[in-house]
Amino acid sequence: MAKPVVEKKYTLGERIYLLEILKGMVLTWKHFVFNFMASFRSGPHTVPTTWQYPEDRREISPIFRGEHMQTLDDQGREKCIGCGMCAKICPAQCISIVKAKVPEDQQELYAGKTYSSSFNIDLLRCIFCGFCEEVCPTNAIVLGQGYELAEYRREGCQRDKARLIENFRLARESGKLKPQRKPVIVAEPKAKPAPEGGAQKDPGVQKVEQAKPKKAAAAKETT
Amino acid sequence: MLEDSCLSGHSTGDYVKINIGPSHPAMHGTLRVVAWTDGETVVKADPEIGYLHRGVEKLAEAMTYHQFIPITDRLNYCSAICNNVSYEMAVEKLMGIEAPEKAQLIRVIMMELARIADHQVCVGILGVDLGAFTPFFYLIIQREEIYEIFEWYNGARLTNTFGRIGGVEADLPDDFDQRWRELRPNLIKAIDETDKLLTHNRIWMDRTIGVTTFSAEDALNWGFTGPCLRACGVKRDMRKDEPYCMYDRFDFEVPTGKHGDVFDRYMVRMREMEESIKIIDQAYKMYKELPADAPLMAKVPKAIRPPAGEVYNAIETPNGELGFFVKSDGSDKPYRLKIRPPCYMIYQAFPEMVKGEMIADLVACLSSLNVIAGELDR
Amino acid sequence: MDDWLIALIKVVFIWVWVLLIAVIMTWVERRGASMIQDRLGPNRAGPFGLLQPLADGIKLFTKEDIVPDKAKKILFSLGPILFALPAFSAYAVVPFGDKIVLGGKEIILQVSDINVGFLYVVALGSMAVYGIIVGGWASNNKYSILGGLRSTAQLISYEVPLGLALLAITLIYGTFSLREIALAQQGTFLGVFPNWGIFKQPLGFILFIVTAYAEANRVPFDLPEAESEIVSGYHTEYGSMRLGLYLFGEYVNLCTLSALIVTFYFGAWHLPYINMAAFLGPISYGIASFLVFFLKVSFFLWLFVWVRWTVPRFRYDQVMGLGWKALIPLALINLFITALAIQLTI
Repeated sequence: MAKPVVEKKYTLGERIYLLEILKGMVLTWKHFVFNFMASFRSGPHTVPTTWQYPEDRREISPIFRGEHMQTLDDQGREKCIGCGMCAKICPAQCISIVKAKVPEDQQELYAGKTYSSSFNIDLLRCIFCGFCEEVCPTNAIVLGQGYELAEYRREGCQRDKARLIENFRLARESGKLKPQRKPVIVAEPKAKPAPEGGAQKDPGVQKVEQAKPKKAAAAKETT
Repeated sequence: MLEDSCLSGHSTGDYVKINIGPSHPAMHGTLRVVAWTDGETVVKADPEIGYLHRGVEKLAEAMTYHQFIPITDRLNYCSAICNNVSYEMAVEKLMGIEAPEKAQLIRVIMMELARIADHQVCVGILGVDLGAFTPFFYLIIQREEIYEIFEWYNGARLTNTFGRIGGVEADLPDDFDQRWRELRPNLIKAIDETDKLLTHNRIWMDRTIGVTTFSAEDALNWGFTGPCLRACGVKRDMRKDEPYCMYDRFDFEVPTGKHGDVFDRYMVRMREMEESIKIIDQAYKMYKELPADAPLMAKVPKAIRPPAGEVYNAIETPNGELGFFVKSDGSDKPYRLKIRPPCYMIYQAFPEMVKGEMIADLVACLSSLNVIAGELDR
Repeated sequence: MDDWLIALIKVVFIWVWVLLIAVIMTWVERRGASMIQDRLGPNRAGPFGLLQPLADGIKLFTKEDIVPDKAKKILFSLGPILFALPAFSAYAVVPFGDKIVLGGKEIILQVSDINVGFLYVVALGSMAVYGIIVGGWASNNKYSILGGLRSTAQLISYEVPLGLALLAITLIYGTFSLREIALAQQGTFLGVFPNWGIFKQPLGFILFIVTAYAEANRVPFDLPEAESEIVSGYHTEYGSMRLGLYLFGEYVNLCTLSALIVTFYFGAWHLPYINMAAFLGPISYGIASFLVFFLKVSFFLWLFVWVRWTVPRFRYDQVMGLGWKALIPLALINLFITALAIQLTI
């Protein structure tokens, strides 16, 4: 187990320490001057790499996997049919869901024939993998851009259905709804859609493809 | 642990026992080293592992094949994408399918980005542990940009949950081209600046050259892989030797060192970052040549039930060879899953490496090995 | 009675002044580091974060004062005081300007111009090591004792080249008084060079500045508190204002050392080629000399920060090697050449 012995071969410049240290100091000085000048610029986001967090927030990716929301369709009906796929796929088992038939007098509230009479997400367990979103046959559960999830009490981290729908409303108002995913193309064109790409189960694959340029434009605007 | 032969002729009273970790500024994650020192010299170092043991392998047995992908994120969290791909490829191999070409190229691009990010952290932390704080920031700022690409790809920065069994879940975002064009020069600049601040600085050279050297023979015997093995002078890279994901079609070099000391490990990582940039360029060029509607997923059944059998698949992650052994009994959950983390083998040799060195070298050695507790303890 | 009052005012002034610089230095250090590292640094407390040191002070004062159970209580309390006291005291003989004439009375801008100021500075410089070793020993912590030992070895080793480098200076100026050394640096020699120590002693200057970094425990010589190796070194167990005293003492040390560098090598309050006393009134000259001196000091304070965020840290044996194998021989050679030159020219 003899350790190899290394012969140190230094050039004169390396040997006398100071030359290389001075070179390094020139480099750090350049950075200092650049940032020093930058810090005089007006606006909160001055030094290019620092975000002054509470006032100055970085742009979050439109497909960010943050706090969940439950979507409503155009007529304001809940999309969730309570199938429980999300609860089943969830690696952290953070979703608990109770399926029920839609009562006769509440047909206008729900898009499907069944609905989830209770839908709870435990954010303390959630690992934000986004699988629930992918398996959902009706695109009812979506991970939004919310990332400020700190609470003072454990109970604060439980999300019930009302809160999830509220999340959706807020996102819709601020225009932060997730763009629909591009369909994932599966190797054999004739085969039925792959199991994991949630979006292609959507009836309107064609529509989605038309929506593509729009998203590209939006992305260009934002960057 | 004390009556070991390395304390021969001395009683334990002759040495000072220093407990480094699990919460110590120099310990990356929850590692612990119990060092016996004679003054500043380490006589014996005893690594203790298991502080981050989460039973990942056992967890896998209670999860479906897909559900396990997010758990692999938590192995080497600096380069989660490589872990994801390694696991997915193992299952694909078990099922006898192969991801389509486009998916493979996306995997290559993302994996190389993750490799750069991982090396940036490792080199940066090595600098921090040796007292040079500034290069860390120059590198980590560019890592943020890499994470930005990840975030725009599938919405997560650190624990990506990248790819699915049989392919990838999404195409590259439309703005990838622009982001990469912006990032590339900055990345090269950051690597260059780190190089300028450290490589030829005599203080840095004294601290790293000849420190915790390791011979190639020993390294092979201990089961080293990755940059730590290449630093010892063995030209072994899974990407070249056992190509996967079309790595045989890219033109890149495998940088090697000579003595396996801290400096060589640092240099190998620095040069690997440059090679990774080259690979991304080539892969992205090939990606652009593919039609826009090229498939991203192989045809996989809804519920994955690989045929009964077992498979071992390993790929070259930033730390070395990360292998997944998957045994299937035909159900939708793995019967047994074993992970071969590169750190585990490397960390075993740690006591041998630091014997006779100084406390400061122990810290330098540990950070140059890039031992990630998540991967080590699983 | 008047002299007493003036001395008292000078003492209080220098005390407050050094404290203020030390406080501002904590801010400069953090903001400077952040600028070098493409960050912003503390900018919330007050304009440009200038009140950050105050916030830090309040935090340190209000924190619980913990003395470890098995610590040596008396020594534990003594450590920070022993560290901070010499740092302040050393400034007593360092000039901070030339002189000011108030009410017909000439006041020297220096607390006390003792004729062995040089010896006083070197002696107090080596006192600082007691604070560190006592603190490290009393903490009953292995990291602390390691830090203390590292520091002791380092300070004692670097005292020697520091003293030798300064000896060459005293050979040139022929005095031990700091004020006289400073006064002697006016004008030019050989027609072009200002009469500054750095031009007469370039090697001595490099030796002194390197040893100054070692004496102040700054990067690249910050092994006694190398965070990644021995947590915080000798002040690992310290908290509250005791820690504050250590940190404070460090910055006061920096201030003293910078003032010494300026006094010995950078012409103290003199500007090159310009004789300020010739065209400035007695009061404005006093103020101007103080400002020039302070500007020079602040450059060296900034240099401490600048170097800290550029270079890595030495290893213990390398520090010893550099000190004994490189700096001391060089300092001896420097002394020899200086002595020879003086012998030949006179």
